Amino acid sequence: MKPITDESLADYLKQRMPDWRNIAVRDLHRLPMGASRETFRFDLAYDDAAGNHADKVILRRDPPASNVDSDRQHEYNAYKAVYGHGIPVPRMLLLEEDPTHFDGAISLAEDLRGYHNSEYQIQGPEWRDRLPCLAKGMWTAMGKLAALPTETLDLAFMKSSTPETAAMQELDHWEATLDKADIGPEPISRAAIRWMRRNPPPPAQKLAMVHGDFRAGNFLYDDSGELIAVLDWEMAHLGDPLEDLAWSMSRVLSFGKDERRSGVALREDVLRIWQAASGLEIDPVALHWWELAMCIKGQAIWNAGADAWRKSDEPQVIHAYAAWWLRNAQDRAILELMGKL
Amino acid sequence: MKPSISAAVANLAGLLRDDIAPNLTGFRAGNAGMAAAMFDIVAEEWDRAAARLVSENAAFRALLLRGGVAGDLGDDSDLRVSALEACNDRLRGMLIDLHAAVELRGDAELDAAIWDALRASVEGRRIASANF
Repeated sequence: MKPITDESLADYLKQRMPDWRNIAVRDLHRLPMGASRETFRFDLAYDDAAGNHADKVILRRDPPASNVDSDRQHEYNAYKAVYGHGIPVPRMLLLEEDPTHFDGAISLAEDLRGYHNSEYQIQGPEWRDRLPCLAKGMWTAMGKLAALPTETLDLAFMKSSTPETAAMQELDHWEATLDKADIGPEPISRAAIRWMRRNPPPPAQKLAMVHGDFRAGNFLYDDSGELIAVLDWEMAHLGDPLEDLAWSMSRVLSFGKDERRSGVALREDVLRIWQAASGLEIDPVALHWWELAMCIKGQAIWNAGADAWRKSDEPQVIHAYAAWWLRNAQDRAILELMGKL
Repeated sequence: MKPSISAAVANLAGLLRDDIAPNLTGFRAGNAGMAAAMFDIVAEEWDRAAARLVSENAAFRALLLRGGVAGDLGDDSDLRVSALEACNDRLRGMLIDLHAAVELRGDAELDAAIWDALRASVEGRRIASANF
């Protein structure tokens, strides 16, 4: 990949933004965030007709190989769609889809600095008394997203779905991803997929904008544990709102290695907060199906990361690490949900 | 090899995590932390990998024979981990087909035996750092 530098980014912005003058890019550096996209942070200064500007900016770049099948346009549009609808997200600034500038499409967004996003930090004892606040913020935001009427959002860029087709669409997608990223046979995932096809869930109560990766690590929070912004919308799609709920309770994403889901709250608290915020019912049969489906999604993503690692000219540590760390735990989670552990 | 590979790699993991990574920032610090975690996994897996694969392969072969699967089930005469893993992958692929057929024909006993073997495999592959 072509390195992105202060100078190359400033040169690009001079071409892209002819009305900007005295453009300066400073301290561009890559952040240790995410397995699917490269994330950089920088300071931007420029003048325009409105005056002088000094902004803090996040740049994300699509890599040549990823564990997630998405692109800059999709995530950019997802952020724009949800912005201003009661779910706190950073403001999008610019989308550059032409990959020739930086060896991959890029997007620029407002950088909300001074907050935390680590899912590991909150496992420390000093954060224990703030976990209820984190839980309320996290699953309230998720519930509010579930409750948003999709017809009020600009989601024309998303693949269409219906309450009747949402479940099998997701299962089809992640099974195809497993097929494509064939790093070795997965007898437990395949058995779970066969069970899910024999036992489909009821139609979704409503169609919702599903975040697709709503978990600790993908939102910003402040020192008191208040949620500041929800990040990483690259897998957003139309679907069953139970999907986000199920993903957020995944065993492999329970970073405290205990019963706290997402390393934040017990299952019963998660369900209570989400239900109060969404106003939706939680059918236990449907939720169980979605929890299994999220295991297949997880296994497909970990396998896709391993596949990207072995095929890439610039293999990313996180792709190999995630596969080593998560694949067997994911199988174990499936066994638990299938009543086979 | 002396010192033992597991002990040496675990020591490297500690150095990387506790001595080197704290002196790095941002993306490099993240990579160093993950590399340390991978060294920990290597240290755990090195000593047990061959024994675990031989045990899994024997269990899978027994299930395939019990299910009447014909074909080359291989053997574990080559004890290199790469050879055992290749055999393990082949047997797992055959087990998927057998499991699907067993479900269709309603053979509850063999179905339960397959799940038992899969559970044993998962428990044998657990790593200390896993969330679950």
